[in-house]
Amino acid sequence: MLARLIFFRILESLPTILGVVTLVFFLLHLVPGDPVDALLGETAMAADKEALRKSMHLDEPLYAQYINYISGLTQGDWGKSIISQRDIWTLITERLPATAKLAATSLLLAILLALPLGMIAARFQNKPQDKLAMTFSLLGVSIPNFWLGPMLMLVFSVFLGWLPVSGMDASGSIILPTIAMGTALAAVLSRMARASWLDSMQSDAIRTARAMGVPETTLWWKHSARMTAIPVVTMFALQMGAVLGGAVITETVFDWPGLGLLTIEAIQRRDYPLVQGCVLIIALFYVLANLLADLLNLWLDPRQRAQ
Amino acid sequence: MMFIKAIPKSVYACLLLPALVLLVGAMESVDGHAVDLAQVLSGSTSAHWLGTDVLGRDVLDRLAEGIGLSFSVALSVMSLCAVVGITVGMIAAWAGGWVDSLLMRFVDIVLSFPGILLAIALAAVLGPGVDKLIIALAAVGWVGFARLTRAQVLSLRHAPYIEAAIASGQNTIHIATKHLLPNIAAPLLIEASFGLAAVMIGEAGLSFLGIGIQPPDASLGTMIKEGSQLMLVAPMQVVYPGLMLFLLVMSANLAGDALRDYLDVRSKR
Repeated sequence: MLARLIFFRILESLPTILGVVTLVFFLLHLVPGDPVDALLGETAMAADKEALRKSMHLDEPLYAQYINYISGLTQGDWGKSIISQRDIWTLITERLPATAKLAATSLLLAILLALPLGMIAARFQNKPQDKLAMTFSLLGVSIPNFWLGPMLMLVFSVFLGWLPVSGMDASGSIILPTIAMGTALAAVLSRMARASWLDSMQSDAIRTARAMGVPETTLWWKHSARMTAIPVVTMFALQMGAVLGGAVITETVFDWPGLGLLTIEAIQRRDYPLVQGCVLIIALFYVLANLLADLLNLWLDPRQRAQ
Repeated sequence: MMFIKAIPKSVYACLLLPALVLLVGAMESVDGHAVDLAQVLSGSTSAHWLGTDVLGRDVLDRLAEGIGLSFSVALSVMSLCAVVGITVGMIAAWAGGWVDSLLMRFVDIVLSFPGILLAIALAAVLGPGVDKLIIALAAVGWVGFARLTRAQVLSLRHAPYIEAAIASGQNTIHIATKHLLPNIAAPLLIEASFGLAAVMIGEAGLSFLGIGIQPPDASLGTMIKEGSQLMLVAPMQVVYPGLMLFLLVMSANLAGDALRDYLDVRSKR
């Protein structure tokens, strides 16, 4: 039963993936004027322009370009970078591990901060502890990470000299980008955890259990925690996708050689096919994270399976 | 306009400093675009209260310009998002059937991208310019309004007063603007308030990455970028613009929270 549900849910995400691919395909065609002019500059030789137009299949009708693009993707051919002439898929896979590492540490930090904070806030609702935790959360969502990053560098690298300013090679270089990215995630997650904990504690099930004399600690740690897990796990899975979007900015701030920095480098060099490739891979991860959130929900919540 | 009362003092407290900068910036006779290479990174002086930047331009005046720009871009984007999103949401809910499916499928696809990534990609391919920046940010932001409006209209579609309006032969646009819109305004207002915060971060983020506001115009994002390259010699250059942006974003978030508590009975605890 569950396997069938999962199969259909995966099947349902296929049109979304096709939609994402289509939108990414049209990105290149949104470049004002002629994309070849934008890439080579208007003063380029006509022969060079023609060669590039041919190599990018821009001389073909739009529907043929679209079919070419999709059939290329399905065969693992993501095209070539205009600047380095290297395979886009190779460039992406070279950078993926760095982003994965940063995403993993950020998500871990987010969970380690958010769960205790959300729980303390819910346990001491409207008390100073709650206010303090929610102030942290408000600060976390309000401080842009492209400012938090430089501020962390200013304090921990420039003034105190404890940690490297940027890059990935020095030891401890992952700490500052992790804090910059993880705190914003923790802020969102802790709010969610607080709200779901409060919701579950006010549910009929908990009221009944309380009336039956279940001790308060068991209520919190056993009964309520399981109910709270559903929205929190969903949110966490969604953030796994969002973290890749956020990586574009954080990696630029810290010169972290991941997928985000590759995207920005491609944008600065007007390497539009590479931009397309980067945007596509991040969006695909995002779709997969959404799918994972749905599947986890199905697994955790019997009510959803029944529906 | 009763909800104005719901806005807590903390919102005004957050806005105090940016407002002061705007005021002083407007009163000053200094031009934030005027390059003065004799006054590079001068620190605080009587002529330049917050010092000068790497080209000798007055930081206070540039901050004021950045705040003004951040606000005007955010308001333009939110207005555009609201108009497009509310219209699409209403059409989807009212028409139903394949129109609804088609529009909502498109909304789903836009939502399949991390918002900031799509805005970055759009701003990058559309090229520099404030108008293109507004389009890139609005292209991502309208979907929230569309979904919310659709859900709200669907819940009101069969309310007695709407059915009465239909039965009395009022035209659809009249029903939408006079009966539906005032009754779905509360959640839309909350969405707009949080949206304002997100757009301000988005604009500054894109400008920080070099694909938003272009020099010599001052954006808080470009000022943070320039400041972060000068941390060793002039650390305050990165502190000022970031602080202003943080206060603006926080005030919008606080206002959103307060409005939600005030307008949405369910979340009152």
